[in-house]
Formats: sequence, C-alpha cells, structure tokens
Amino acid sequence: MTTLQPASPVVPGFWAGTAASFRAMIRRNGFGLLALIVLILVILGPLYSVVLWAFAERWQYPSLIPQEFGFTFWERTFARADIAEALPFSIILSLVVTLLSAVICLPASYAFARMKFRGRQLLLLSFLATNAFPRFGLYISIAVIFFRLNLIGTVQGVILIQLVNTLLLMIWIPTAAFQGVDKALEEAALDVGASRLRVFMQITLPMVMPALSAALLLTFVNTFYEAQGALLIGLPRVVTMPVLMYSLINSQLIVQYGAIVSLVLWLPSLLLLIVAQRLLRGGYLTAGFGV
Amino acid sequence: MKDDSDTLMTTLPTPAPRPSWRKAAIAYALIAPPLLLMVFLIFIPALQSTARTLTVDVNGTPGFTLSRYIAFFQDPVSVSNLMFTFQITLITLLVIFLVCFPLALYLRFANGRLAGAVQVLALFPLFVPGVILAFALIRFLGTRGTLDTMLSIAGFTGFRTPYLKPDAIVFGLVWESIPFTVLVLTAGLRQVSDALIESARDVGANNWQIFWRIILPQISRPVLIAFSLNFLGIFGSYTIPYLLGPAAPQMMGVFMQQTFGQYRRPDDAETQAVITFLICAVVGLLYVRTVASQRKQEQDS
Repeated sequence: MTTLQPASPVVPGFWAGTAASFRAMIRRNGFGLLALIVLILVILGPLYSVVLWAFAERWQYPSLIPQEFGFTFWERTFARADIAEALPFSIILSLVVTLLSAVICLPASYAFARMKFRGRQLLLLSFLATNAFPRFGLYISIAVIFFRLNLIGTVQGVILIQLVNTLLLMIWIPTAAFQGVDKALEEAALDVGASRLRVFMQITLPMVMPALSAALLLTFVNTFYEAQGALLIGLPRVVTMPVLMYSLINSQLIVQYGAIVSLVLWLPSLLLLIVAQRLLRGGYLTAGFGV
Repeated sequence: MKDDSDTLMTTLPTPAPRPSWRKAAIAYALIAPPLLLMVFLIFIPALQSTARTLTVDVNGTPGFTLSRYIAFFQDPVSVSNLMFTFQITLITLLVIFLVCFPLALYLRFANGRLAGAVQVLALFPLFVPGVILAFALIRFLGTRGTLDTMLSIAGFTGFRTPYLKPDAIVFGLVWESIPFTVLVLTAGLRQVSDALIESARDVGANNWQIFWRIILPQISRPVLIAFSLNFLGIFGSYTIPYLLGPAAPQMMGVFMQQTFGQYRRPDDAETQAVITFLICAVVGLLYVRTVASQRKQEQDS
C-alpha cells in the first residue's frame, strides 16, 4: 500500500514509517522472499507428495493430507519378491562398482598428481570425455557392442557401464587432493629416516583422506542411483532398484509402492545431505566440471 | 601448480626436465587401467558406431554409404523426434538461465538467513535422484496431484496437467539442473571483485550496465561450462522425458531406447546415436576446451 496516511494524530508518521520500512525490507529482500516461496513450492512440493503417500492408507482428492495414515503398505511393499531381491542386489552392486573404481582409479590419480610423464595434462583432461558425450547416445553405442559380446542382461555388463560413469570423479578429486599434499612434510619425514611406506601411510594418506572419502561416497551414491545404463544393459535379467522404479512408476496402480520405494531409495542421499556442507566446502560437488 | 619434479632438480624452472624412462613407465602402468576402460567403453564404441553407420548400408552391403542417414532424415517420425529434442533442449536451457542467473546473483550479493535458506533449497535437488524426481513430479503435477489439489482448494478450477506433455519434461529437467548451474555460476561470481563493482557504481553505472559490462564478461567460462554441460545433459537425457513426456514426439534418448530395446533394431539405434554425437560434438568440444583453459589459468596464477 502506497497511500497509507497517519490515521491518528497522536503518533504522526508512525504508520508511514512502518510502511516505509516494510517497503524497504521488501525492496531489499523482495527477491529473496519471492525466491524462497517459489522454491519451497516447487522444490519441496513434489517431495511432500511422496513422503505423505508413503504413509497414506487412503488419500482421496481433493485433500492436502491423506484421510488415513498407516503402515500396511510398508509390509506389502517388502513382501514383494522383486523388491526384496533388487534392494540387496543394488547395494552390493554399487559397493562392488565403487570398490573396483577405487582400485582402478586411485593409483592412477596418484600418478597424475605426483609423477611426471609426457601427455599428463592431456590424458587427465581426456577423462572429461565421460561428460562430453550425450549420455544416452553413448550408452546405445556401448549396448550395440555388448549385444555382440553377449553382455546384455549380464551383471558384468552392468558393472562395466557403471564403472565408466565413476571414472571422472574417482580420478579428478583424488588427483587434486594428492597435488595438495605438502611435499615438505613428506621430505622431512624421509630425512629423519621414515620408510616410504610409512610416510605414505602416516603423512600422505591422512591428508588426502577427506577427499578420498568424498570421492568414494559420491561414487557409491551416484552408482546406486544410476538407472539408464542399468536399464539398457541389464534388462531383462539384471534388475536394480532404480530400474525397478521405472516399472513401479509405469505399470503400478498402487501409488504407495512407488512412494515407499522412493523413500527407501532416498536413504543414501540422506547420507550425502548430512555431509553436504563439507562436500560443498571441499568443492567436491562440482569436481570434474572444471570450476 | 605444485612442483613435483625430483628433489635434485627443483631449482630448474619449467619446462620440466625429461623424467627417467623407468619412472614414466611406472606412471603409464598406473594410469593404464582407467585409460583403457575409457578407450574401450567410450572412444571405441563411439568411433565404431560412426564408422559402421558410414560403411554398411541399410541392406548390409559394405562400402561407403550415407544411406542410413538418408533413411533417418526421410523418416518423418525420426525427424520430428530430433526437432523435438532440439526444441526441448533450447527451451529448457533458456528457462534454466532465466531461473539460475537471478538466483546466483542473489546468493553472491546477499547474506544472512534468508540467503542461506534460498541456497539450501536451490541445492536440494542434488540429493534427489532422477527416478525419484520423476515419481514425485507425477504425484505433484499430475491430475488430482498436489498442485491440482492446492489450486482447487484456493478456488481455482480448470487445472490442466502438464504431465505427459512437453512442459513436464522442461519442468523436470530444469528442476534437476538448478543446483549444478547455481553452484557453477555463484562460484564464477565470487571471482568478480566487489571493488570493481563499487567503482563502476561510483561512476554512475546502473545494475543492468554492471551486469552486462562488468560481471558477464568476467564469468564467461562458468557460463559456457553451465551451458555446455546442461546442453549435453538435456540432449542425452532419458529418465525424465521417458517418464514424464508424451508418447510422441519423443526425445532422442527415449527414441533410441525404444528402437534398440523394443523394436530390436540396433543398427537404426546406432544411426540415431551417431546423429546425437555429431550434433553434440561442437558443444562437447566447447566444454572440454573451456575446462582446459580454466585449469590452465588456475595453474598459471
């Protein structure tokens, strides 16, 4: 309101002053308030529906909250054979891929950070190729080869395609960490007679540990949620949880199944969310994007 | 850049001394496994697909041919899917920048709790994987979904759901891209010094001029990275368009999957894939070059 006049002569200018300061606040924070409201609606709105659906016994339109809450669908969800099978399988698969990725990539990242060889920069940059292709087109190319090699529908095929996705993170984050280690400390330890192994275990490793655990955690979570490669290569025999979600979304009349599986699937992300501050400060969330 | 040459040679300036062949051999052995994996699972499949689509024609006769590409561009369904993918990609990119630039500018220049809350919400989609997002958006945007309910309680009837329409794809892809884009843009904006902006303001520049003349030129690299990665991500997307979009026209990801998985025509799927490679090649190169020059600058400084 721009035409507010002081209604009472007792406190002349009181209302005008309040309105002005309110207007100033809006002007100063207007964008922030608007952004907050829109983001709450748009970002949290969709998740609100999922969380409530997971605990709804009955939810009929038009109501903003379910008419009845309960857990009966939780029992029914976990009684389903496909879900009971896919969940442990997905967890083990993601662990295997993360472990393999670490075994393959960590020595390489040490070499990239600490050794000198021809083409080092170029080879390090070449791992950006995993981002530089339209992802699904690349998966089709890989699938055509796997098709000839009879790798479609096999666990090995799924592991391979998921491994490719992990390379950039698992090489770039640790490489930056190894480069950041203070060499003077290591040399000082060598000077006083520590063995190379001991220097690595007691000086180098503790210093790169935060970055390594970030890389491992991000790789595990990304792999756990990887759905497109697993769908294309894994079906019909290998079914991970995210792949199962496709069919729950497309061909399941009971909404609660999808909602409950979504919530359960979301748990690893919760892990990330808990350490999000640290991931953000370390720059790990944008690692590999070059910023 | 950290100096990692031999201790005996640390006094030498760059260029680095030629390392001994043994050390180099160890280094190559260490980097070989991930490199080979990438070569065999990215470069070779991409090159092989390109080569095969050019050397074996639709009937399987060998010899250089463009017949598969001619067939693709003569098929109205294929062409409309390609055009649809372009449209969605460009519209989504436009919306992403319209949403994320103001957010990033706000987060760069604002402090306090409100800005903190906005940042948390803007980054939240990082922690929501694609399949869950698709499910959530169906429940949110669908007929009789949460949005429909809220509007009808507010007295607004006649809600038309965007679910299974192109709008839902754009909505979902923008939703997914907000955190990354905001992170990249704010990181770039932090490099722009306050002093420079203040002095521009002192000589009478308005906000708009400051944005175009001072800020934008200095964050061209982050903008290019956000543009190229989002372009590639949208063009190569599958989950969101498959679960939220219309049955026809389809985005290329969905189209390829169907050609390969349902129709069992790997040759056609391969042609479609190579067409997306060619279209995205320029953007992919732009991305790699921008990241490379950014790294070079960081290491030189």
